[in-house]
Amino acid sequence: MTDQEALIREAVTAEADEAVDHRAVLAALRTRRARRRPLALLAVGALTAVAAVVAVAVPLVVDRGSPPAATEVPPPTGRTVLLVGLDDVPRPDAVVVARISPDGAVSTLSLPRDTLVDLPDVGPGRLGDAYARAYQAAGTAGQDAHLAGAEALARAVSHLTGVRVDHHAAVRMSAFAELSDALGGVEVCLRAPAVDPASGVDLPAGRNTLRGADALAFLRQRRGLPKGDVDRAVRHQAFLTGALSRAAELAADPAALAGVAAVVRRTVLTDPGWDPMEVAGLLRPAGAVRGAVIPVLDPTEVGQDGLDPGLVRPVSPEAVRAFATSHLADPAPDSPPPPTAGPDNCVG
Amino acid sequence: MRDDFDRFVTDRLDRLLRYATALTCDKHLAQDIVQEVLLRASRRWDRIGAMDAPHLYVKRMVTNDYLSWRRRRAAKEVSTSHAALAELGPTTADPAVRHAERDAMRALIATLPRKQRAAIVLRYYEDSTDAEIAAVLGCTEGTVRSHVSRALRALRVNRTTPTEVLR
Repeated sequence: MTDQEALIREAVTAEADEAVDHRAVLAALRTRRARRRPLALLAVGALTAVAAVVAVAVPLVVDRGSPPAATEVPPPTGRTVLLVGLDDVPRPDAVVVARISPDGAVSTLSLPRDTLVDLPDVGPGRLGDAYARAYQAAGTAGQDAHLAGAEALARAVSHLTGVRVDHHAAVRMSAFAELSDALGGVEVCLRAPAVDPASGVDLPAGRNTLRGADALAFLRQRRGLPKGDVDRAVRHQAFLTGALSRAAELAADPAALAGVAAVVRRTVLTDPGWDPMEVAGLLRPAGAVRGAVIPVLDPTEVGQDGLDPGLVRPVSPEAVRAFATSHLADPAPDSPPPPTAGPDNCVG
Repeated sequence: MRDDFDRFVTDRLDRLLRYATALTCDKHLAQDIVQEVLLRASRRWDRIGAMDAPHLYVKRMVTNDYLSWRRRRAAKEVSTSHAALAELGPTTADPAVRHAERDAMRALIATLPRKQRAAIVLRYYEDSTDAEIAAVLGCTEGTVRSHVSRALRALRVNRTTPTEVLR
């Protein structure tokens, strides 16, 4: 080999050594593949995220109509809240970490309930089991079962993501239809008619006011949308925006407000010491929500090691921590807001 | 099938990223290209995975993405690189000088036309034969030899040439 060729070889190798860490790419790749796959898991996660954010955000916006309380000082550091969507058992159907930055930007990170984690004091288990185990134990001992479950879940989530959770708020999924009814309907704008027998949605193009079952069907539809999950996530954002602006409009109607407040009080459970009003000054009624799911590996069948048989989703703890840290990081104050439904707020 | 693709990614990702980085001289562009290619490959893995050498096919996908990439990087300062390399004089055993020489060569390689650069990376980084390079670039072996010899000519620094001519 000539000296020139040796130098070229060294130079090309040095260039190749600049390559990014393949583990980071692996995590990104798995997340993106997961997002593209039409999984029921993600459907539930995204829907619950919307439900939980609406449920928590609505009282905050609603309360803006009343004179600010003395305690309503925007926390300068933002807040990290664990949002839990519960089924009727109750078990966590979806687990979402929401970060409200000091300037009001909201990022949500969904964690599949079947994520295989190292449960503090228990060992390997499903993330959702953290709630279920503590719920059962406290219930047997005559203590507040939900509170024990939510606190155990918050510890498991912090353990997995490395993110400190300040507060928790839980909502039953079935409350979602009720909530949209209490709001008097949520307006969305459709660019084309939405018809899908699978989700039960049947709406004309243009502006639609969604209530109850229609709202759920609209949020559930994935089939027939050009980009599937991605389009649906845009719909969720449009719906969330509609719900928040509706809540802001209701501020002048005490009767309607009372109805919303009653539904919220009945359906949203928070940690006892927390007054959600403290972040009211931060939230922007029409602010977009930036959502993501933690990077998960393909599901694995288990039936031993003390785990209940069935599917679990293994994760790389390093990848999850890195992803959580970066996704939930507060954006720079002058960074542009995340993309939303479009200038007219209409969706496909 | 899913397992097979995952194994492929685990085995090949690092190597693919390095190859793409050497090819693009831009680690972020390399990451974008490799990610996009692997996502596309995963959707057609039933066909690609059944091939004799899936990694060669995926490498070809990466190479094609790079070759057809529209937005060109800003041209590097070729005259500076030539001059820097020429000023260093004959090859020396001094590690610092050798290091500078290597970096100047890197900058020079970054200025090569894309197909020439691809041929150089395949030959000197991947140690591919002319036939293999021809398969990846989708051209004849004769064309590969022509790319390589042109690239080598462009990378050769005439150390007797006064540097002011190059400046």
